[in-house]
Amino acid sequence: MVSTEWLEAEVLKAVPDADVEVIDLHRSGDHFHVRITSPSFEGMRPLQRQKQVLNHMKQFIPHPVHAIDLKCMTPEQAAVTGDTAFDPHAGGQGVHIRRINRQKEE
Amino acid sequence: MNMDWTPEELQAIVDEHALVLFMKGTPDQAQCGFSNRAAQVLQALGEPFAAVNILTDPRAIPSVCTWSDFPTMPQVFVHGELIGGSDIALEMLNDGSLREMFDAGRQG
Repeated sequence: MVSTEWLEAEVLKAVPDADVEVIDLHRSGDHFHVRITSPSFEGMRPLQRQKQVLNHMKQFIPHPVHAIDLKCMTPEQAAVTGDTAFDPHAGGQGVHIRRINRQKEE
Repeated sequence: MNMDWTPEELQAIVDEHALVLFMKGTPDQAQCGFSNRAAQVLQALGEPFAAVNILTDPRAIPSVCTWSDFPTMPQVFVHGELIGGSDIALEMLNDGSLREMFDAGRQG
């Protein structure tokens, strides 16, 4: 079991200029959704972006981190992408995206 | 499936099938929510895909992850190329790039 703060710090080692948001999906400290926003992702394909993170994180998989769902975005993409967190054990059928509505600052 | 999970065997699978999903369980009986999501993405794409259940053999996960240099399951391959796990597959389904990549390889 690890904390969201620990995971955020580890992700920042891989992408130092990133804005990192970690969601502990079950409050169990082992299933995480991680939203990573960085201008350095510009021009990189999705897999390249994840590999930059996973190359550092793979030493922690599958223990103590059992599951890590990554969303790697440029600031431009993040601006038009709603918060997306996927819970792999939410059950049911179909493609699940649980969108968390942000409070608009208007 | 009788396999030793050698790099040669794994490469043959992704060479033979345009869409391959290495997953925990089967598309109908996924044993992990991420694997279920990846299977749903490929079903939504509407093209036939080969699903390989890596829970049938304890050697499978380390063998596949070493071969593909990707640490987690599921893993989605399009025309022999690893695109990533379920999160990338869903992102590429939604932005149309999964369809583009599949169609491009099919014509070529």
